Amino acid sequence: MKDNKILKLAFVLFVICAVTAGVLGIVNALTYQRIYDMAHAKEFEAYAVVLKSDSGYAEVEFEEEGFPTVDSIMISNDGNGYVVKSTFSGAQGNITMVCGVDNDLKCTGISIIEHSETSGLGAVAAASSSAGEAFRAQFIGQDGSIALSKNGGAIDALAGATITSTAVTGAVATSIAAVDSVN
Amino acid sequence: MNRRKQLREGLVTNNPVLVQQIGMCATMAITTTLFNGVGMGLSVLIILTCCNVVVSALRKIIPEEIRLAIFVVVIAGFVTIVDLLLQAYIPALSAALGVFIPLIVVNCIIIGRAEAFCQKNTVKDSFFDGIFQGLGYTIVLIIMCVFREFVGSGRFGGGLIDIANGFRFTMDGTGGGIQIFPESYGMSIMNLPFGGFLTLGLLIGLMQYELKKFEKKKKMAERAAKELALQKEVEE
Repeated sequence: MKDNKILKLAFVLFVICAVTAGVLGIVNALTYQRIYDMAHAKEFEAYAVVLKSDSGYAEVEFEEEGFPTVDSIMISNDGNGYVVKSTFSGAQGNITMVCGVDNDLKCTGISIIEHSETSGLGAVAAASSSAGEAFRAQFIGQDGSIALSKNGGAIDALAGATITSTAVTGAVATSIAAVDSVN
Repeated sequence: MNRRKQLREGLVTNNPVLVQQIGMCATMAITTTLFNGVGMGLSVLIILTCCNVVVSALRKIIPEEIRLAIFVVVIAGFVTIVDLLLQAYIPALSAALGVFIPLIVVNCIIIGRAEAFCQKNTVKDSFFDGIFQGLGYTIVLIIMCVFREFVGSGRFGGGLIDIANGFRFTMDGTGGGIQIFPESYGMSIMNLPFGGFLTLGLLIGLMQYELKKFEKKKKMAERAAKELALQKEVEE
């Protein structure tokens, strides 16, 4: 192949890539704010689901080395407990979840904000279906010794999604331990 | 080019999933509720149509040696645009389909059509090819979703239809669908990937059976016509 032919190929590919990148930049600029706002609103909605607070939440300092999966701990200004946000690995990718913990170190509810679990299997844990709600309701009232029923605990795993169920259960235990460390 | 023939090819005789048998991975993975099926089908339809138009418009300036690289760039561009728009405007669908929207980049329907059709045909023909092939894909997804949802959880139109407060369509994926029999009586295996394989297998089998039958009929009719002509000749 002649040199100028290679240069021509590279030039065509470069122009097409540059045009594509430019278009993507424009679309990103148009949608970025909306996507960001929605993710933020979703997080606050999730806080209210797991631990209701009429006067808002405030961030609490915690020992980050001890709890690598915990992103943030928020204390309810009503004094009824804490909300822990954590990111941990599920079966397919990272799961971001918030977990409410009351002052007696019992879970008050969980809500999964972001995940990439398999649709119809692990994704049920985050779904708004009756099966998803039943799965999440099991965590309410559990303490730090929480475990799946096959390990002698009280949480029934989702059918076909043992890894997701184990990960979520473990994250709830970690969240309770993290609150214990700042309580 | 004959639009009627193109439509028939997209929907039946050259259906992307049932006859060309491409793009099956996502087909099996996401066909669990009607909401997913319609959303995925329409996303692919839009991306396929856009890519077809761009690829056929550029077909004269795309060098043979790097055509695949250029196809991939164009496809990835459109997939990212659709992905961002879905995240911003239909977040429920984006959450339900998850990784399968970005994975349309490697869905062979789109690169297959670009390679097999658009680089040899005009922009107009490619545009209609995108719409018809996309429709063929969407229809197969809808059939699979309806079947799997009904057998698996006794429901119709999950996520898309809400009958809690009168009949209405929802775009946020919260609709419970119409419960035809209690969910606990459903074969939940149909909701698992296994059910996807089973449904797809049955559909492909049925399709091939019908196509063969049709071909046979056509041959028989041809033969009968020939015999008739022969008879006439003898009589004369």
